Amino acid sequence: MDFSRYRKRSPWILHYNAGSCNGCDIEILAALSPRYDLERFGVLNSGNPKQSDIFLVTGPVTYRSRERLVELYNQMPEPKVVIALGSCTCTGGVFRGMYNVEDGIDRYIPVDVYIPGCAASPELIIDGVVQALDILEKKTKERENAKRLYSEPTTENGITDRSNSAQKIGTGGFSPEEMKPNSPERRENEED
Amino acid sequence: MSLIALLLTLPLAGAAIILLVRAVRVRDLLAFLTVVILVALSIAQYTGGMTVRFALPHSLHTIFMAADILLLLFFLWRGMHEESRPVALLALLQLLLYLYVSGTDPQAHPFDIEVGYISRIMLLVINIVGGIIILYALEYIESEEMERMKKNGFIALLFFFLSVMNLIVTTDNLEIFFLAFELTTLLSYLLIRYRGDELARANAIRALWMNQIGGVAILAAMIISVKSYHTLSFDALLTFGSSWGVAAIAVLIIAAFVKGASLPFEKWLLGAMVAPTPVSAILHSATMVKIAPYIILKLAPAFTPFLSHTVTLFGSFVFMTASVMALGRDYFKEILGLSTVALLGLMMAMAAIDATESVQIVLVLIVFHAISKALLFLQAGILEKSFHFKYLSDFEYLYERSPMSVWMIVIGFASLTLPPFGAFWGKFFSLELLISMISQSPLYILVLVFITLGSVFLTLLYFKVLTRVLSHSTGKTEKVAIPALFRYSSYALFGLLTVGILLMSGWNGVGVFELLLPALLIFVIPLLLRWQLRSSERVGEYRCGEKDEAEIGAYYFALPEAQVRRAHYAAAALIALVLLGGML
Amino acid sequence: MNTVWIILAPLIGGLLYGVERIVRARMQGRKGPPLLQPFYDMFKLLDKRPLLVNPAHVLLGIMHFITLWIAVGLIITGTNLLFVIFVHLLASIFLVASGFSVRSVYSHIGANRELLTMVAYEPLLILIAAGFYLKNGYFSIELIHEGEPLLGSLWMLFGALLLVIPIKLKKSPFDAAEAHQEIVGGVEVEYSGVYFEFLYMAKWLEYIFVYLLVILFAGNSVMMAIVLVSSVFLLVNLVDNATARVRIPHLIAITLGIGLTLSILNLIGVGYGL
Ligand code: SF4
Repeated sequence: MDFSRYRKRSPWILHYNAGSCNGCDIEILAALSPRYDLERFGVLNSGNPKQSDIFLVTGPVTYRSRERLVELYNQMPEPKVVIALGSCTCTGGVFRGMYNVEDGIDRYIPVDVYIPGCAASPELIIDGVVQALDILEKKTKERENAKRLYSEPTTENGITDRSNSAQKIGTGGFSPEEMKPNSPERRENEED
Repeated sequence: MSLIALLLTLPLAGAAIILLVRAVRVRDLLAFLTVVILVALSIAQYTGGMTVRFALPHSLHTIFMAADILLLLFFLWRGMHEESRPVALLALLQLLLYLYVSGTDPQAHPFDIEVGYISRIMLLVINIVGGIIILYALEYIESEEMERMKKNGFIALLFFFLSVMNLIVTTDNLEIFFLAFELTTLLSYLLIRYRGDELARANAIRALWMNQIGGVAILAAMIISVKSYHTLSFDALLTFGSSWGVAAIAVLIIAAFVKGASLPFEKWLLGAMVAPTPVSAILHSATMVKIAPYIILKLAPAFTPFLSHTVTLFGSFVFMTASVMALGRDYFKEILGLSTVALLGLMMAMAAIDATESVQIVLVLIVFHAISKALLFLQAGILEKSFHFKYLSDFEYLYERSPMSVWMIVIGFASLTLPPFGAFWGKFFSLELLISMISQSPLYILVLVFITLGSVFLTLLYFKVLTRVLSHSTGKTEKVAIPALFRYSSYALFGLLTVGILLMSGWNGVGVFELLLPALLIFVIPLLLRWQLRSSERVGEYRCGEKDEAEIGAYYFALPEAQVRRAHYAAAALIALVLLGGML
Repeated sequence: MNTVWIILAPLIGGLLYGVERIVRARMQGRKGPPLLQPFYDMFKLLDKRPLLVNPAHVLLGIMHFITLWIAVGLIITGTNLLFVIFVHLLASIFLVASGFSVRSVYSHIGANRELLTMVAYEPLLILIAAGFYLKNGYFSIELIHEGEPLLGSLWMLFGALLLVIPIKLKKSPFDAAEAHQEIVGGVEVEYSGVYFEFLYMAKWLEYIFVYLLVILFAGNSVMMAIVLVSSVFLLVNLVDNATARVRIPHLIAITLGIGLTLSILNLIGVGYGL
């Protein structure tokens, strides 16, 4: 059965603040409030990566928040979309070039929707979420990150060999089944 | 008759031979054979299904009397030697009382040994569960640092204990009962101080004087009985029913409370934890403390309504309070110990109720409590020996190292609370019985509330342990091998639990469906765990994105000291009420 | 007939949950999600990649769902009420055990709170069963359904049940066990995708379970059952919208304090024909 069309009808949100000024967070709360009533689209602010579909990030990624950003992203089960909310999240915004921030979250995780605005308005947020839903519907269940295509470099006699680092994918297009046995994660699991 | 005689003497013979044997292999083999024969005998006795009565030869009585006096003199000597005033004084008091009793000349007993239904069940519990624990002890004691003689002595003492217990549940003569009672006191004293260090000695002395209170109580009952009825027969005592008879019964109840480590006396049982673990196992499951519900069960037909109500109230109060008290503990064996105290309270409460169903309920509770507690204590021993875990706060990565132990602990606790295990049905019908008794006395509402609250607190307590043992991450296994004898004895008890479920069918209309359904639900989990769900990927736990390992502790709901003291006062007041009920 | 109801139970629970979300939204002056929203959620969860922490955790969660379903089934087939309450206890214990089976902070806090709420409601449920037994002389649910409505004589026990319902349905003021953002859903936190689905459906079954308990008080009167369920439904949601969460110690103190008093009074009253 194809359930992918229901993804659109029940997007659960994980909101993460990667060092924002809290301006955009307040707007998110406004968007969730009765006035805008995001719940009528089935949106739920779940606060738990393991049960979320939309990763809503605000803030320019401070140094301290980098690992958490990636960790949370990895704990979300695919399919998932990432929304960069606010100018500083997209590009660094007013924080751009500062000594303690990265300029935007797309240095670490792939972003699907950029919502600009230094304090993006609730209407913009809703619009962004709706766009994200369209993307969500098209995504596959397989991992989005390119990491899957790499194989770990092998080390023999102290020499690291990375000559074979890209994995061969079946010729007839992207076939996730073929990739599975060789992917690094897979191998780790089996060793356990 | 010959079966009973064998049950009484075979463990003694086994003990004697084991003392002499030097080779470990031979000793183990002998012990194993003795246990197998004991189990077979007790089963044969059970299936024989007749009430057996007979008198012992007169020469034995003289020996018993001599043994009694020697025993009391030994206590006196210990009291002087260890400079413990309560022990010495109580021993002296008992000596005087005993000499007084033996000076009187009661009527000849028609029979000294009487084995009825209750006794047959008790024999089963003592010999089967006790036997399995002894097999376990064979392995356990080898890992202690002691001389060979002392190790064999340990096993011999355990066999001796079985013999004494067999005597105590079969005798109908108060005098022999007194001897057996004192012998269990002696044995528990010897076993508790087996390791011989400072703490062991102190705890052993405490167990000694507390249990001697029970001895005094029995002597008092004997005096009352001899003075007013010229008999020392239990059965005769129960049929008199006049005010003196009730007084004797009330005094005997006190003896039961002491042996059952009920509330003001719970310290001796907790102190017993310093002994090697098989001792705790055998004290808590098959022997010693089970005397308490047994006595009450035996006496219950002669209870006045007042006595019945007070004992029930007392038992349910102990059930609730001991469960709460256990919540604040960290020592695994202490937690198990207090839960024993609590459950004994429940058994005594149910035994005292004046209803035909109560006997069966209490017996079921006794049997299944014995099996579950034995299983749990064996696991405590395994944890101690294989992992050096004693306190809950040490339990780390147990699941990763030995999932078998974890599931045994889980099953052990589950079998005390959850359907379809026997102990659950015991509790279930206890509740049903209590509810149907409400219209007789409003007191039973209070008892009902105590028991429901107590049950929930016990669940809370069991989960406190499970918190520590169940939690595990994915991957990371470093299996630790557990000695074969440890494993097999655990499996045997587990097997008994499973067989017990089948035996429950038909009792009070418990349907096969009601048994199989929860059994399926519970047993399917360990089986399904073989299915590793390989197609699902593993993730770490959610820690708000932080990378640090989380440290997981257990919860404590420690009662303040003042509250505990208040609970002791309340329990003591209830005991005083029991005595008062006897006097009136 | 019973079999059909048992199979449909989770679906009806899901619908009830859907209705509830709308009702709650309307009370707040919102439009609310569509009626079938819970089922959309379900289908979406089926579509997610399965992730898990360890197999035992997942299995215990699934067992929670199955056992709860069985408990609901047992009520529908009309067996012994006390036994049903214990099967339900078994279900809750599976849930708590699953919460404790991972090395996760929130899961442990949640399981701990779940356990403490059990301290609060389990005695009350047993006393409610006791009330039925005292009144009728049997625990059989089938016979209770055939008998007269007992709300009149057991109204104080009904009050005790009203205290239990918000705890079971995780509604304010007694929703500390789940406490959504505070402890990220408590026991549920480590579940994802299809495994979370079982817990989600278990929540629906919980609805069916408590409302079936409510119906017990209506005896053989269908009218009364409908009135009772709908008014309890509205009341619970109204209270949910109007109150703040209380802490666990307060939760226990309030439910046990009021609940036990009510039930004991009621039991005395019934037992002695006052
Ligand atoms: S975009 Fe502007 S308002 Fe929003 S978080 Fe960044 S700095 Fe604050």
